[in-house]
Amino acid sequence: MSTATESRYSRLFDNATLRQIERMRLRPLRRLTNRSRGEHLSGKGGSSTDFADYRDYAVGDDLRYVDWNIFARLRRPFIKQFQHEEEMHVVLLIDASTSMLSGDKLLRAQQFAAAFGIMGMLNLERVSVYGIHTSGVQPLLFPPSTGRTKIRPLLTFLEQLEGGGAIPLEQSIETMLRFHRGRGVAILLSDFLTLGDLSRPFNMLYSSGLEPWGLQILSAAEIAPDVQGDLRFVDSETGDTLDITNAAELLGEYHQQLQVLQDYLDAQCRRRQGRFLSISTGEEFELQLKDRLCRQGWVLR
Amino acid sequence: MSAGMGAAMTWPGFINPIGAWLFLAAIPLVVLYFLKLRRPRMEVPSLVLWHSVVNDQRVNSPFQKFRRNLLLLLQLILLGLLVLALTQPFIASSAGSAEFTPVLIDCSASMAAIDPATGKTRLELVQDEVRNLIENLRSDQQLALFSFASTGRRLTEFTNDRRMLLQALESITATDVPAELDDVLRMTAAYTTSFPIREVLLLTDGNLPPSVEFELPFRLDVRRLQLTAANLGITEMSARRSGPQEWDIFIRVSASSEELLTADLQLYLNEEQLFTERISASAGEGERLVFPVVSAGRAILEARLVPGDEDALRTDNQCWLSLPEARSLQVLTYGRLPAWQRAVGVLEGVEQEALEDGVPEQTEYDLIISNRELPAGISGRQKLFVDVIPADLAGLVEKRDGVSLVTDWNRTSPLLQHVSLGEVQIGDMPAWGKGAGVGELEERGYEVLAEGSSGPLILQKREGLQTSWWFTFQTERSTLQHRVAFPILVANAVDTSLRQASLSEVAAAPTGVLPPLQLEPATVYTVRTEQGEEVQGRSGVTGLLTGIGAATVGRYEVSDGSDVVAVVGTGLLSLSETSLSAVEELSFAEVSVDAETTVVLDTDQPLWWGLAMGAFLVMLLEWWYFQRVRGVVQ
Repeated sequence: MSTATESRYSRLFDNATLRQIERMRLRPLRRLTNRSRGEHLSGKGGSSTDFADYRDYAVGDDLRYVDWNIFARLRRPFIKQFQHEEEMHVVLLIDASTSMLSGDKLLRAQQFAAAFGIMGMLNLERVSVYGIHTSGVQPLLFPPSTGRTKIRPLLTFLEQLEGGGAIPLEQSIETMLRFHRGRGVAILLSDFLTLGDLSRPFNMLYSSGLEPWGLQILSAAEIAPDVQGDLRFVDSETGDTLDITNAAELLGEYHQQLQVLQDYLDAQCRRRQGRFLSISTGEEFELQLKDRLCRQGWVLR
Repeated sequence: MSAGMGAAMTWPGFINPIGAWLFLAAIPLVVLYFLKLRRPRMEVPSLVLWHSVVNDQRVNSPFQKFRRNLLLLLQLILLGLLVLALTQPFIASSAGSAEFTPVLIDCSASMAAIDPATGKTRLELVQDEVRNLIENLRSDQQLALFSFASTGRRLTEFTNDRRMLLQALESITATDVPAELDDVLRMTAAYTTSFPIREVLLLTDGNLPPSVEFELPFRLDVRRLQLTAANLGITEMSARRSGPQEWDIFIRVSASSEELLTADLQLYLNEEQLFTERISASAGEGERLVFPVVSAGRAILEARLVPGDEDALRTDNQCWLSLPEARSLQVLTYGRLPAWQRAVGVLEGVEQEALEDGVPEQTEYDLIISNRELPAGISGRQKLFVDVIPADLAGLVEKRDGVSLVTDWNRTSPLLQHVSLGEVQIGDMPAWGKGAGVGELEERGYEVLAEGSSGPLILQKREGLQTSWWFTFQTERSTLQHRVAFPILVANAVDTSLRQASLSEVAAAPTGVLPPLQLEPATVYTVRTEQGEEVQGRSGVTGLLTGIGAATVGRYEVSDGSDVVAVVGTGLLSLSETSLSAVEELSFAEVSVDAETTVVLDTDQPLWWGLAMGAFLVMLLEWWYFQRVRGVVQ
């Protein structure tokens, strides 16, 4: 039980939230795992104590797994299969470009990355973090790690992650895939505000055995911009400008386009057995974690 | 339609095309717009969504580019409308196509008639139309205003100064004289040598003489007001002596309306009412009344019409008539002229002094009949010379031996009315001089009343009110004295003298110029109207005061500085003006011009006000749009 005087373990969230996170588990749609053992239940037969299924006996099968009670009744040998607990790779890709610096979006990305990382590590998954912000520069990498002992380094890595740069998300994914090996879940923490085509990097993720989970983090100003009159918008990343006349008149169209983008991203993720969720930095992190992520089936409590 | 009119409406013209240079102001406007359009910079994480929004807007709205710069578009439209208004576009009408347009405005008596529909006089209606014309005047168009009644009057030179033109227009008032076109048309024609006049605009009520002896050097656009009004007026007043001191006064009252109009006619003698008569008249059926009046000395009669019904024109309701003092005609027969003396002696109302030689008793006679040059100091209003060739015709007419026959004579001459000179044989032979003819005599002011086989037999010359006749042959050596034509001829001469001396007939003077007044010679007289206006005139050596203008109906008092020596009056006395009728066609020499009926004058249609109004609406739209956008944001 945390108290007011209790020192925070991480500046990303308080200790109570940390304890709640420790009790959560990621819930991938597919069971893409590494061959190495872990605590994640594999779809393949395994040696765990959890019964999975029966199958016909084949020559060469280990006779220890024949269910003799079935054989006694049916006079046919069946192999008893158990769920295999394999290690799943949780890849956390943090978009640390300049656009993420506005509205505490990067902080929220760091919080969720920490939460997902802790969940993975405590479930003996291999967790790696990529912080990508600038094109052509080697990404900031938290190497694949697992176990409670790596939580502290993970949090430290995330806390020290700084944003700034103009790399588009699609390039970030491709950069990450050049360094990454392993199957599992790729959680993309970004605002997904890119002009590029995301189909290709999503395909690459899928081909690499990673479920694409897109968590779109938008600031309140991006969801409901407070604009009026004639404005010259300046892109925080590229410095490009765009003149808008009567911006207030275009807000309806803006919301429509935002919805179109979110529908597109959701379709891209679902098409590849992934998930997509858009959150606002205007909401409390704890609420989003316990409520929205659970309801959407991202995590198990 | 006027002669040669009917030009179709063309593309709009521009009075001030130089103003189009201000369209160049669009360049700094656009530059300043974009310079001024420093939009507030707002950093956003990404332009992705906004790019999508803009692209989608462009697809959905082809005019999005315009909408983006709607303010600029409105300002450009505003500028365009204002500059167009500044160039003063107009749709040219046929009436305003000439650069120099004389405008002739009828201000005759009938123009004072009140239109019952509007309550305005005809002149005021015409002034309204001309005012419209002036206000829509282009800068390259110049007008010259003329007013006319019996004579023309130039009010302005050719100018486009609206203030001057309007000032001149307002100064026009209706006069009490009938309309005559000749004078003003000649005055206008004089301008054609200095200005390229192609068209002259004539505004009238149509109460004009139908025929004008004038050759039009330009196109005349006659604009006639189509108005009808009921009017009753005195169109004639005269007096004829019926006894030594008795006069018959004739008064004719005419009307303009087909309906019967009634009025009371009052007759005053020296401002004392003599008669009142109820009369009624309609168009074409005027009433003629005769009043017997006894007057021994000079007197002035006033006829006053008091209409009982509607009466459009008031100036024809009064007129005056001056009765002369009753006396006999003074005739001097000077020389041996027994036949003439006998013929004169039997006539009534004539006091004859027969003198073969010597000095006459009086110095002035109404008629002198003589066969020689008159002694110095003797003058006569009418002179008749027998067997005398005027001294200034020496060489042109000469006497030869022989006989003559009358070949032709002027039967309409007052002297020869009812006189037949056919087969009259003359024992003399007046003949033309070498190379002489009628033309040469006419150049000297003579008119040939009777022409013989060899030369002129009777000559006439008018000098002012005086008329002189010359018989170039001896009447005693002709058969004329033995024919019935002779006493008729003498009676004609006496009658003419009686009329000239106003002893037998006298007619009321119409407006225009006062009738000649026989007063003291070489004296300055002051003529004062009822309105108090004074005009000075000087009598001639014969004592005749002439040329005093009398443009208004009323009494005129003539004084020599201390005493009133004569009182005369004038009246409109014009059947055409009283009838308020309008001619349908004016006949000029070789040209006929229709008097177009129009109430609204066809003028250039200016478009600047419409454009200015459009600019104002655009400005309102801009303001509304700007406020609306701001309201949406709020």
